[in-house]
Amino acid sequence: MNFAHYARIWLTSARYSIVRTLMFRGDFFVWALVELFWMTVNLLMISVIYRHTDSVAGWTKYEMMLLVGTSLLIQRFLMGFFWSSIFEMGRNIRSGNFDFFLAQPGNVMFMATTRKLDPDGLINSFVAMGVVAYSARQLGLHPGAADLALYALLVACGVIIHYSMLVLCIAPAFWITSAQGIEGSYFTLSEFSRLPRQAFKGLANVAFVWVLPVVVVSNAPASILLHGFDLRITGWLLGITALWFGLAVVVFHRGLRRYTSASS
Amino acid sequence: MLSTLNKYRAAFSVGLQSNLVYRVNFAIRGFFSFFHLIVVFILWGSAYAGSPVIGGFSFAQTFTYFVALIVVQFMIGAFNEDYQISEEIRNGLINQFLLKPVNYFAYRFSIYLSARLVTGLLILLPLVVLFPLLKDHLTIPLDGWRLAVGLPALVMSAFIQFGIAYCFGLMSFWFLEIQGLVILSMAIESVLGGQIFPLDLLPDWLFRVSQYLPYYYQMYFPVAIFTGRLNDPAAALAGLGIQAGWVFIILATGQILWRRGLRLHTAVGG
Repeated sequence: MNFAHYARIWLTSARYSIVRTLMFRGDFFVWALVELFWMTVNLLMISVIYRHTDSVAGWTKYEMMLLVGTSLLIQRFLMGFFWSSIFEMGRNIRSGNFDFFLAQPGNVMFMATTRKLDPDGLINSFVAMGVVAYSARQLGLHPGAADLALYALLVACGVIIHYSMLVLCIAPAFWITSAQGIEGSYFTLSEFSRLPRQAFKGLANVAFVWVLPVVVVSNAPASILLHGFDLRITGWLLGITALWFGLAVVVFHRGLRRYTSASS
Repeated sequence: MLSTLNKYRAAFSVGLQSNLVYRVNFAIRGFFSFFHLIVVFILWGSAYAGSPVIGGFSFAQTFTYFVALIVVQFMIGAFNEDYQISEEIRNGLINQFLLKPVNYFAYRFSIYLSARLVTGLLILLPLVVLFPLLKDHLTIPLDGWRLAVGLPALVMSAFIQFGIAYCFGLMSFWFLEIQGLVILSMAIESVLGGQIFPLDLLPDWLFRVSQYLPYYYQMYFPVAIFTGRLNDPAAALAGLGIQAGWVFIILATGQILWRRGLRLHTAVGG
């Protein structure tokens, strides 16, 4: 089982998803519009707040836009590459359809979480990139190729962390069967990633900056773009990426052992 | 008359029982709403650190607004009524109502009332538990007129909430999939209904335009009366008039959609 093998499997799934999307073009259009609207809502909130104040926790309007843009970018990638598969995983565990993945030629976690691609989420990632680029322009930033590469790496880390969190939110389905409503907890947590790290104080700082990775995920790439390379931040994000992904793998496989199917 | 009431009382009681089954789900949802309050607290707290007054209101006033919004949402908000109606149309369950002397709107509205009774009471739980933490940041004006105007506004908001969901649900007579449309309208409602930020912080002209749209009366209007963002009794009364107009328009639209939709509807199977 090598890399090329998995790449081939993934490409096949991707091709299937795109063909499916082309079959339901109206749906694709509506959902792309839905995501675009929600992104606009977030940006609108920033503009309204900054109509009345110049700084939120030391962040100016366009610095904040860059942060929110980064957070949206990470979320769009998560939605585009993994959301449908992981969301359906919860239902499949309950209904017993999860059996299907056990019989596939590859790692079960890979097969179950990468099966479906959502092109509407991926299309909107370009809008998120546009928001980041526009904010960077307004701030007069001129990042070099190395900065952009580092930013891309940290965004990728962010996607892996969000992926791990989402798997951890759905994995309880192995134990309690019905994980309905639990996936909502992921969205609540992701709200925190649109806030600047400096705004967290006391207990909130411990919980959302140090214990849960939700704030660092978006703040780290944004601050690299704003203030340049920082070894401490980069190291921190790489470290917690490994930690959370490891945790997701362990919990998923523990859960898998509990899976008893739901045959009739 | 009495037998008519009894019919819908039965629907109400069935709705009550089925909603009590999901009390844990609602409780979890309520719990996560308070997580959302932490985000609100941190974000607006940081914004207020730079300027003690935003749009003429203090931090406590703005925070109270967001707390009240959550409570009102659990008391009158339409959760998934549109989806339930859409499902009944799509899988043919609606056919049974066509054969019985039951008004579908009244039946659905009874179930909505029972559901909101359960969620409205459930949201009080986390509120009471967290009250010691919240109370320093809350400020509630206690003028008599607020109750006199606010309560009818709240009742009419419930009609608007349910009426919009009802209309969207009935769209299933025409479209197979309404989930995308519903979420799209939710995004619009969340902004123009004041869930993302208090509407009075919008640029003045936009705020004035929003007062003529139904979204303003879905949530913002009663909450603004109760939490002291709307301080002119005369303006509140005028708002009540516009709100009554929207209630009429939305309920009438529901009736029209129902009649037109039924003409298209095909009941299959038996």
